[in-house]
Amino acid sequence: MSSAPESLEIAQEPEAPASSAAAVTPLRKRSLDGVPYERAPEIEALIADLVVLPRDELIARAEIKKRSDPGYVPSECLLYFVRASRADNNERWFERLYRILAERILRSLPRAENPDGKTEALTRGVVRDKVFARFTELLAADRAGYIDKLDFFEIRFDNALANLRRDAQTQAWRDENRSKPLEYDEESGELSPEVEAAAGVHDPFAASEFDDPAYRSRLDAAIEALPTEQSRIIEMLRQGFPIDSKEPGFMTIVKALGRSEKTVRTYRDKAFATLRTAMTEGDE
Amino acid sequence: MSADNARPSRESVLDAFAVESEHGRATLQRYLELYPEYAGELVDLSRELNRAKVIDLEPLSTAEQALVEAAWSKHKAAVSTKTAAALTVLTADEWRAVAQELDVPRQVVTALREKRIALSSIPRRFLGRLADATRSSIDQLEAFWSTGQFAGARSYKADGKPSIGDQITFEQALIDAGVPAEKRAPLLAEED
Repeated sequence: MSSAPESLEIAQEPEAPASSAAAVTPLRKRSLDGVPYERAPEIEALIADLVVLPRDELIARAEIKKRSDPGYVPSECLLYFVRASRADNNERWFERLYRILAERILRSLPRAENPDGKTEALTRGVVRDKVFARFTELLAADRAGYIDKLDFFEIRFDNALANLRRDAQTQAWRDENRSKPLEYDEESGELSPEVEAAAGVHDPFAASEFDDPAYRSRLDAAIEALPTEQSRIIEMLRQGFPIDSKEPGFMTIVKALGRSEKTVRTYRDKAFATLRTAMTEGDE
Repeated sequence: MSADNARPSRESVLDAFAVESEHGRATLQRYLELYPEYAGELVDLSRELNRAKVIDLEPLSTAEQALVEAAWSKHKAAVSTKTAAALTVLTADEWRAVAQELDVPRQVVTALREKRIALSSIPRRFLGRLADATRSSIDQLEAFWSTGQFAGARSYKADGKPSIGDQITFEQALIDAGVPAEKRAPLLAEED
């Protein structure tokens, strides 16, 4: 912990402008192997570019919401400035940046409303609130003393936020004691025999609409609403892991999740049936 | 940070997995093999990382605005105790720099610092500049004004001058300090 932080040599970036020679504070977090984490080179370079802008101009850039806009400031950079103004202690400047960042957090977390626009997923709303509260707590704590967990947000913001979301979800599931079938099951009641029959062969990831963002978003919501064990099986299947294998040392769903092959297959069928119902319901 | 032989914590494994550059099967497999004890959470995280990105450009709802507001108030409350004090501990040199930055005579800054000028008479625009110059916020300046009125002030009273209670107006302070009318106007302007 007391080791000197490595100075980041931004100048090694071939396209880096001269102004990037300004020191961008290095991160303190180290990887599991003990190697110091670094920001992405393009983030470092952009910070160096932005740091010389007048504050109003930087704020105007930070307010751009569209990621495709060439002036868009990635949240990794925005967080850098929020954290850097800890030392600066200029409340007014800080407030503006803070609000922009807080808004972004809300904008990147799925809302409680289901993609069908009619129903709400209470858990999702709870998760959203929890993540927002947790992130703002980290920011507050970071002002008083360096919170190295925030370094992950400067490395890959969306991913670090996804991790907070996972954590909040685990808590929410624990709170609601999730072992019960959720939402879609409750709404649809018993599965029809046809759906039951089709469940084993229906693969929601093979659907022709899979590349359609609206379909993906509904599918994500439906998977999220599954009982925990089922959603894990679905994720591993999606990643292409086999349920079981004769070969020792081969990573399988059975091995990773410590369930029997029969249980995994049963859960998979149940999950597919639920997903199929969820995905066809919206089409009517 | 942790001892070399210690098994990494659940949190550090998940944090590390989250910031990997890609989250395909190979990465998940590697983590599942290295940290089988966190398999369930790693798979949950993999799902979370691979979900379609939410890109919401809609204006925030009232409830969401309230969340941001509440977070900011909490944040501000947490730091203002620390920084409100910071305003009172600015050194003489720092106050001199404030006067330079605001381009007003030191006498005006001294009056501000001693809260001899009524807060309500100070244009918001100037207040904003004062907040910037003193590295604080308007809220903190307001808090500063509302507490310890005249604390540390000189035994001075502007008898017979336009005043609000025991305080004088900002404009009067400028006049007293000999700021010419053409220079006073921009200082008194509410907008740029």
